[in-house]
Amino acid sequence: MQSSAKYLSLFLISFFILPIKAEFIGEISLDNRHFFNDGALGQDNNHSSVSFSPEIFENLEDDRIFHFKAKLRDDNKDTERNLVDIQELYFIEIGESKEIKYGISKEFWGVTETSHRVDVINQTDTTESFDGEDKLGQPMIKVSLERNWGNIDLYALLGFRERTYSGDKGRLRLPVLIDTDSPIYESSAKNKRTDFAIRWSHYFDEFEVALSHFSGTSREPRLMPSTKKLNHLTPYYEKINQTGLEALYLIGGLALKLEAIRRSGQGDTFSAATAGFEYTQVGIADSRIDLGWILEANHDDRLSSSPFVVGTRLSFNDSYDSQILSGMFINEKTEEIGMLIEASRRIASCCMISLEAMYFDDTNEDNGAIKLFEPFREDDFMRIEFIYYFGE
Amino acid sequence: MRIVSCFFLFLSLTLSSSLFANRGLEIALLSDKNNEGYGDSSSSMTMELISKKGDVVARELRFKRLEVPEDGDKSIAVFESPRDVKGVAILSYAHKQEADDQWLYLPALKRVKRIASKNKSGPFLGSEFSFEDFSFQEVEKYEYEYVKEENYLGKDCFVIKRIPLDPYSGYTKQLVWIDKENYLVQKIHHFDRKAFHLKTQTFDEYKKYLGFFWQPHKIEMKNHQNGKSSILKFTEVSFKKGLTDKDFSQNSLKRSR
Repeated sequence: MQSSAKYLSLFLISFFILPIKAEFIGEISLDNRHFFNDGALGQDNNHSSVSFSPEIFENLEDDRIFHFKAKLRDDNKDTERNLVDIQELYFIEIGESKEIKYGISKEFWGVTETSHRVDVINQTDTTESFDGEDKLGQPMIKVSLERNWGNIDLYALLGFRERTYSGDKGRLRLPVLIDTDSPIYESSAKNKRTDFAIRWSHYFDEFEVALSHFSGTSREPRLMPSTKKLNHLTPYYEKINQTGLEALYLIGGLALKLEAIRRSGQGDTFSAATAGFEYTQVGIADSRIDLGWILEANHDDRLSSSPFVVGTRLSFNDSYDSQILSGMFINEKTEEIGMLIEASRRIASCCMISLEAMYFDDTNEDNGAIKLFEPFREDDFMRIEFIYYFGE
Repeated sequence: MRIVSCFFLFLSLTLSSSLFANRGLEIALLSDKNNEGYGDSSSSMTMELISKKGDVVARELRFKRLEVPEDGDKSIAVFESPRDVKGVAILSYAHKQEADDQWLYLPALKRVKRIASKNKSGPFLGSEFSFEDFSFQEVEKYEYEYVKEENYLGKDCFVIKRIPLDPYSGYTKQLVWIDKENYLVQKIHHFDRKAFHLKTQTFDEYKKYLGFFWQPHKIEMKNHQNGKSSILKFTEVSFKKGLTDKDFSQNSLKRSR
């Protein structure tokens, strides 16, 4: 907490010296996770954390933008879940059909909802949540060109961010700890290497397509037995080449989606893909409620099973933006089921509240397959999160 | 002789009835002329959602629009408040015939998502306006019929009926009041799929810009089924700021706030 407080005061001071014209906003989030069982490794049942994300946004001139966003998180149980991260700190210079972004930023690639295979620019903060959608800021220079034949984005990624993992006292962790203090890199430049990426994206009426290539240090490490610490795994970050394909086709209200990758450099070259659809029923039963459906199937050469996910989203379309999301992860081969339900709504214009519950099925007998959820069998939880937004 | 006059009578009857049928379209085309020549526009607006009991919650958004000759217009809507949706933006390329192209930008994930513009009958930001009410109502997307003349709030108006050609529209028909003086839309009655008069939309506080372009500054939508209403108020409007296609690209969507 002390170190976070120090950073916090530093950020607050920096705001006073910035131009008054800038838009200064932010959010504070309080979050409590209650696990129904004691941790398989004796961890506690109640975990709370507080996050603070200040943000500055400014149009410097007509053709220049400045954006800053930081994220600070303090967890009361797991020190590996504490975070001080600059998510955004960049300038964009806007030209005619061209823009240049330099600084720290986040970039999203992809079309599917339940897994993000193509998305490789930023490192994942796995301690924030389970879905892999929380990212760490990445220093970069990005040049975007808009042409009649599509958009081209060229990236130079300066330096590397390590993946975060839950610590000793954290929940939803592997039975073996991950030694994040001594990662191994294939590149002799270690975390100072400059990586490169290129992405072309275009659309033809109802069809959206993107092709990308990434050459650099893999954001996803392989976990190797540690030679330094007993009973620990060490993240091994190898140099990879990954080609990605994204496609989306709209047929009426139905969106068909595909993401596929081919990666070399981490043992055998492999392919992985996610394909599925999204459909929204507008105004179910003559009400103003929308019901969205998602079905996505996964394939990964490295896994022996091909799990799929069914999801629904109930949008109440009220003035509170009330929503209920649900998802079911089904792995036929290992006979496993995981379930998530999340309800959220606005309370006044300043605040949001969300309730989330996650359930990992552990009732099935041993059928010889390697169970993906085995490490989390005691980690069913309920989470309540309250977010307060400040600034206009 | 008699046959000839009968023939003429028949001809004039068919002619007048076909003229009669096209009169609705004629008025719609004249009214649509008002949407031409503005070049580009930028506006800030407040949307008030009023509950049956009269409680009011407000949303703020900014809206940029670019005229595209020979096709539908391009637009970007950026949400300012409530805070949890700040920076969320929608980019639309309207088309005269085919479905509009639409992308949604989610700033938390920094994700641009192509969305199905067919889902247009749903509420816009929890209001009584639907996405459809917010999109450009190209003349080509409806069939027209002249109904009558009527005085509305002291203005002599034509009343025309229009039927959406898009099967995904939430409406089966709309009655549109257009004043005779400037051909401006004054009121629309929206009829739902059960042909029930669901909503009434009124257009107020028209102001002239650029010497010819009429812009309403208050648009209200009353829902007769749930008793709620939504009012859109334009707080700032400007035209011809020199916006071009580059201000309506996917990259500009990402930096639109």
